[in-house]
Amino acid sequence: MSFYETLYIVDPNLENQALEKTMDSIGKELEKTKSKIINHRFWGKKRLAYPVERQKYGSYIIMQFEGGDQAKMVDYNTWMKLNNSVLRHMTILLEEKPELHVEIKNSESEDENKKLTNDATDAVTDDSGSEKESVVSDSGSENEVEEPKNQDSSSEIEEDSESKEVE
Amino acid sequence: MAFQNRNKFCYFKENGINYIDYKDVKLLRRFVNDQGKIMPRRVTGTSAKMHRKLVRAIKRSRAIALMPYVDRGTE
Repeated sequence: MSFYETLYIVDPNLENQALEKTMDSIGKELEKTKSKIINHRFWGKKRLAYPVERQKYGSYIIMQFEGGDQAKMVDYNTWMKLNNSVLRHMTILLEEKPELHVEIKNSESEDENKKLTNDATDAVTDDSGSEKESVVSDSGSENEVEEPKNQDSSSEIEEDSESKEVE
Repeated sequence: MAFQNRNKFCYFKENGINYIDYKDVKLLRRFVNDQGKIMPRRVTGTSAKMHRKLVRAIKRSRAIALMPYVDRGTE
């Protein structure tokens, strides 16, 4: 079977318990389609690029799973749309099998588990982001900065030549 | 014009990236101008194959409100 990933935005005002309840209910709804959930984790509270249902912020949750009954996925999709606590959701097809993310932390006690998962996920996302960022800044910035300059200079030259012609 | 070609290379091929994640906003931001428009291939130097993947990733992240459809670039 193929692997999928659902990223959904939940109302940022929901507190830990309410958030877990909605996550549980969404997980159960997905399991009705006989698909196996691999990861289901809180990604972070982020500022939305544009307001969605009058919210400026949103809690992002990632759910990765192995596909089940295709016909029932339609029901799941409509259920997600009608769910009021979900601001927006999107399911995409993954090219490869996703790696397990939080399996180790599940073995520990619940209270520690919450803290750890939050810290760990933050750390992981930060690391990956900064690494890529550093790589990008080395090569990408030159590319982006220099080319506009060239264009500007060439346009200036053109303008100069035009003005000379007029004279 | 000859000098421009020296700076042109595909960022993804250079760094051996084959899959562009739509959740990696920091990376995708580099290929978008301050209005939020996708930069053309002739400017970024991205290979055709990776540009197609890049466009898909950007559009996905727009749909889930990670990136703006329209940005004034003033914030």
